[in-house]
Amino acid sequence: MSLDPVTAEVIRGAMETVAYEMATHVSLTATTPILNQSNERNATILDGRGRLAALSVGIPQFMLSSTLPVRFALEFFAEEGLNAGDVLVANDPYHGGGHLPDYNVFAPVVVDGELVLIASIQCHHADTGGGMPGGYNAEAIDIWAEGVRFPAVKIYDRGVERRDVLYMMQTNNRTPSFIGDIRAQIGAAQLGARRLGELVKQYRVDGIRNAVDHAIDYAARRFREEVAAWPDGAYEATTFVDHDPVGNQDIRVHVKVTVDGDRLEVDYTGSDDRQDLKAYSSFGNTRGYVIAQLASMMDPAIPKNEGFFDSVDLVVPEGCVLNPQVGKTVAAGTHHPGVEVGEALCMALAKVLPERSSPQIYKLGMPTVIFGQQPETGEVFVDHSVDVLAAYCSAVAGEDGWGSMPSSFGNLIRATAEVNESIFPVRHEGCDYATDTGGAGQWRGCPGSRVVKRVLVPASVTTYMVGMKYPMLGIAGGRNGSPNQLTTCVGTERAQRIEVMANGVPHAAGEAFEYVYGGGAGWGDPLERDPERVLEDVLDELVSLGAAEREYGVVLTGQGDGLQVDWEATKRLREERA
Amino acid sequence: MPYRIGIDVGGTFTDFILIRRDGTLGLGKTPTTLEDQSLGVMRGLEEMARAEGRDLGGLLADTEIVVHGTTTADNTMIEMNGAVTGLLTSEGHRDEIDIRRGFKENIWDPAYPPPTPIAPRRRRFGVPERLDFRGQVVRPLDEDAVRAAVGRLKRQGVESIAVCLLFSFVNPAHERRVAEICREEYPEARLSVSHEIMPTAPEFERTSTTLVDAYVGPRLETYLANLESALRGAGYGRDLLIMQSNGGIMTAGFMARKAVAALGSGPTGGVMGACAVSRDAGFEDFISIDMGGTSYEACLVKGGRPTIRSFWNWQHRYLVGLPMVEMHSIGAGGGSIASVEAGALKVGPQSAKADPGPICYGRGGSEPTVTDANWVLGYINPESLCGGEFKLSGDGVREAITRRVGEPLGLDLVEAAHGIFRIVNANMANAIRRVSCESGYDPRDFNMVVYGGNGPVHAGKQAEELGIGRYLVPKTSPAFSALGLVIADYVVDIQRSYITPSGRAEADRVNTLLGEMETQALDDLRVAGLGAGDIDFRRYLAICYPGQTFDLAVPARVTSDGRLGEAELRATVEAFHDLHEETHTYAARDEEPILRAVRVQAVGRTPKPPLELADGASGSLEDALRARRPAWFDGGYVDTPVYDGDRVSAGQRIEGPAIVEERFTTIVLYPGHRAQIDARGNYHVTVEA
Repeated sequence: MSLDPVTAEVIRGAMETVAYEMATHVSLTATTPILNQSNERNATILDGRGRLAALSVGIPQFMLSSTLPVRFALEFFAEEGLNAGDVLVANDPYHGGGHLPDYNVFAPVVVDGELVLIASIQCHHADTGGGMPGGYNAEAIDIWAEGVRFPAVKIYDRGVERRDVLYMMQTNNRTPSFIGDIRAQIGAAQLGARRLGELVKQYRVDGIRNAVDHAIDYAARRFREEVAAWPDGAYEATTFVDHDPVGNQDIRVHVKVTVDGDRLEVDYTGSDDRQDLKAYSSFGNTRGYVIAQLASMMDPAIPKNEGFFDSVDLVVPEGCVLNPQVGKTVAAGTHHPGVEVGEALCMALAKVLPERSSPQIYKLGMPTVIFGQQPETGEVFVDHSVDVLAAYCSAVAGEDGWGSMPSSFGNLIRATAEVNESIFPVRHEGCDYATDTGGAGQWRGCPGSRVVKRVLVPASVTTYMVGMKYPMLGIAGGRNGSPNQLTTCVGTERAQRIEVMANGVPHAAGEAFEYVYGGGAGWGDPLERDPERVLEDVLDELVSLGAAEREYGVVLTGQGDGLQVDWEATKRLREERA
Repeated sequence: MPYRIGIDVGGTFTDFILIRRDGTLGLGKTPTTLEDQSLGVMRGLEEMARAEGRDLGGLLADTEIVVHGTTTADNTMIEMNGAVTGLLTSEGHRDEIDIRRGFKENIWDPAYPPPTPIAPRRRRFGVPERLDFRGQVVRPLDEDAVRAAVGRLKRQGVESIAVCLLFSFVNPAHERRVAEICREEYPEARLSVSHEIMPTAPEFERTSTTLVDAYVGPRLETYLANLESALRGAGYGRDLLIMQSNGGIMTAGFMARKAVAALGSGPTGGVMGACAVSRDAGFEDFISIDMGGTSYEACLVKGGRPTIRSFWNWQHRYLVGLPMVEMHSIGAGGGSIASVEAGALKVGPQSAKADPGPICYGRGGSEPTVTDANWVLGYINPESLCGGEFKLSGDGVREAITRRVGEPLGLDLVEAAHGIFRIVNANMANAIRRVSCESGYDPRDFNMVVYGGNGPVHAGKQAEELGIGRYLVPKTSPAFSALGLVIADYVVDIQRSYITPSGRAEADRVNTLLGEMETQALDDLRVAGLGAGDIDFRRYLAICYPGQTFDLAVPARVTSDGRLGEAELRATVEAFHDLHEETHTYAARDEEPILRAVRVQAVGRTPKPPLELADGASGSLEDALRARRPAWFDGGYVDTPVYDGDRVSAGQRIEGPAIVEERFTTIVLYPGHRAQIDARGNYHVTVEA
């Protein structure tokens, strides 16, 4: 039976609204800042075959680890089936997940014994058991040391809570708020299932199935139309991670992108296959970065559903760093080489689609964590430094990089000095844009921030650094962004430039670290930049006088607020350079 | 003092409402004069006077109150043509306004442009100074550096300066000193000082709010001064009053100093009007809906008071941290354009606006709109609107809908028109679902109050989709926002940060803050001629759980003197758990909540004139029957009675399917819907489940 396109559109809109309601429910009810503030949660609605129908996304890179675990559950429970009132939990990177702290909670919508839809909500949790708090264990020898694995476990069975399972989960987690946040997810999944049940009642099972087919076909068609407009050919690129958290150098990601009519193949054959690293990206994670990068290069209005995701022929050889053998550690690899998956894809396509290319990535190995004791109570505090800062935001054709980070991370809301200083004994001395850190180009990369945090009590600083040897890469002749640069105990005799890891570097009360975050890269030839814009950048102290001449070939005369472009000298200089 | 006058400036029309001593109402409408809104306002007032058989001077001399809803502040932000603005902030925090706490509106589009900067970086300066979170000086203010920065702002021709230093809401000494230096060095510049505009954390929200104030301030000040002097010149002897974004009114002089509070001034009037009619009608939980030509505005009202938002409230791409009546706006209106994109029907957010408008306006519009679909479906009068003044023409409507919507989707004309109608209804219903889930409520527990030119055409379908059983269309729907202005109270909102685990909160400190804020509110309201006896204080503590970003405003438990003892403080924290459970499904009673701020709302009561009661039913409903026409219901055209809104009367009941044509709006009653007309002429519609 076919469905009229108006009803299909009405149902699609209703499902997206349900996804939004689920995500909002988690934001309202969760107690962890990652969830209620930073928006690291993705709500998805899948059909009975595990195909993604609609979603509400916090961070695009992580949206997909919400669907593959559901598919595993459908396989695993194929015989006995899923029942109305069931709620399941899954987090395992080797059963479709991204990394262990991402917990996926989902509930089936069963009508007359038929599985019609599944409401799923994925959230990042502050801890996941294992050898180190937070799930980032640089010393972990394997996945089991990173945390507890839940491939697909029923936590509600036909509407009855499985107390034993929930209690087991609670006892395997360090953070007291964990189970409350899991409950927030259960509430959201149940809310989603209830609302979807009402939709099924209104439009009947056939109506819903047809609407899902329609939406998926629609997205696939739009995707293929975009690809068809791209020039046919095979495009390759190689990118690198500086090193893994223990110092193994130059982790390589290689991609070959083949455009053939309206078909798109993305093949990571040739990527690093060393087996002794601490940097593996699970397949679900790899796929997420591929899709997020592609989404940024297409019409933003295309619905993100299975039709979109399934239109990519993705090849990731088993055993390489982007699809590791079961058991490898994945916590650090979620970000690196996860990030480089998107970067390589962007750089390959930038050769033919420069006007669409802007890497939706970051070069932050891990958040900079400050451990210490509260002076009044003696309680341990952990400041994850999700602070106001700018970094890694490259230019696009027609627009300078701006704000904080690339647009994919526009939902990641950062903590302010005034609130954090009231909670932690740490002073935020600044986060100003650092001059000349944004890559030069016809369109300039956004500068990175110079962040200075001073501890007011003895504290230790831990972080993993990348993006020094391999900063943000320029597009279409644009220059690279500046590298990251971290100095601990800045301004003291023990001042130290961090090369790989800061492993709990002690800071005395009153000492500070300075993290100059890498800038975004430029887009296009800097000599093509409108000299008036260069003048504005100099007036705004984003670009120095010297760099205006050196990088952009623009000569300015006058002083201070009275600076002006010397058009003659600029013309001469640019001609010399050309 | 017989007259009270409300003036609401909209994008197309300026609406007037006049309440006479006997409670009868006069309505007026005049085209908005965009270049200087005061011209249209004065012209409209002259027309109102003429209609009353008075000259303008006589009318204004007899007017007790003029309340005004202005779009000047919003227009300045839409067009981004405010003052040349500079910012002085704490060293190291110069760029927080550009970094926006990481927020970007569109996560899928890397080419999405940044907002136009209110103060570009060359006009932002960090000055050496620093306080800690207790307000203790960590680094003294470098006054020479401040003078140098002000000098640079002066050389750049800055007209307005925002000052926002860290922790100024705890200790404003540095900020005050910076303001003094600005006045010494550059007395011509207007000043917005953050601890006066918004004395709360965090710095990004406060900086943004203060910058918006600095940016719109000079223009609003000039406009209000012009209007006030025109009114005085014409014979009005009282204060001009302005609707604020918090739903209360204040004097023009107060608003000139707190210009940012004038954002959303106009639409807020409608919500306050809806609160009044619903109170009259005996319900308190409702969603107000204003659907005009371009946009659809919804506000959730619980317990008779609109949802107030002060957190993470983006207005025109800037964050405004003052309490505002929470309006949700989507691009859905009569002018919303329907199009087919790659096989999917989209309606809005692009709008044909008033010019050229929908095709049926006959002014050159060529793209099918919601109003055109309604025309095909028989919901609106096929010949004219506004009681015959505004002619409609069907030329090209059918062809455009068929060609642009029908053919690409394989639908016939009526299916296509109905498709447009369904999509716009679905968009609006989804918007309501989002509004209510964000507040933690189920729309089924709410009524609706519907106004604006197009709201009552669509309301019935939305009610059905959302499972809402009852809605109300006020008789004064066309000038409803203006009515809301006249009956609003004075409101002053003040908040002070006090961040501490609730167990360590000191009642004395809370009481000191309450005392300071209440004194300030009394001073502000005294200017408007109110004494302590006319003022109610509502006191709140803003509380959250550890780690939460959002806080809840919990009504403070107080003793008879309006203060808290330790017991009251504990009881208020306990009430927070309950409120959290109500709106967020759970309470974490084993956690120690965090106190974030103390808040006072001072409400200065205005006299509420009794509104006119309509005469009882003077004739039968048959007398009001104007015509019958085919209209589309339940899959076919139904011969539908069309009633004249001027002739239906109190006590009558109209069964759907039926259409009522009011002068400036049309009410469509769907099958199974029934309207009951009350003593004020309002339509109470019930929807059969």
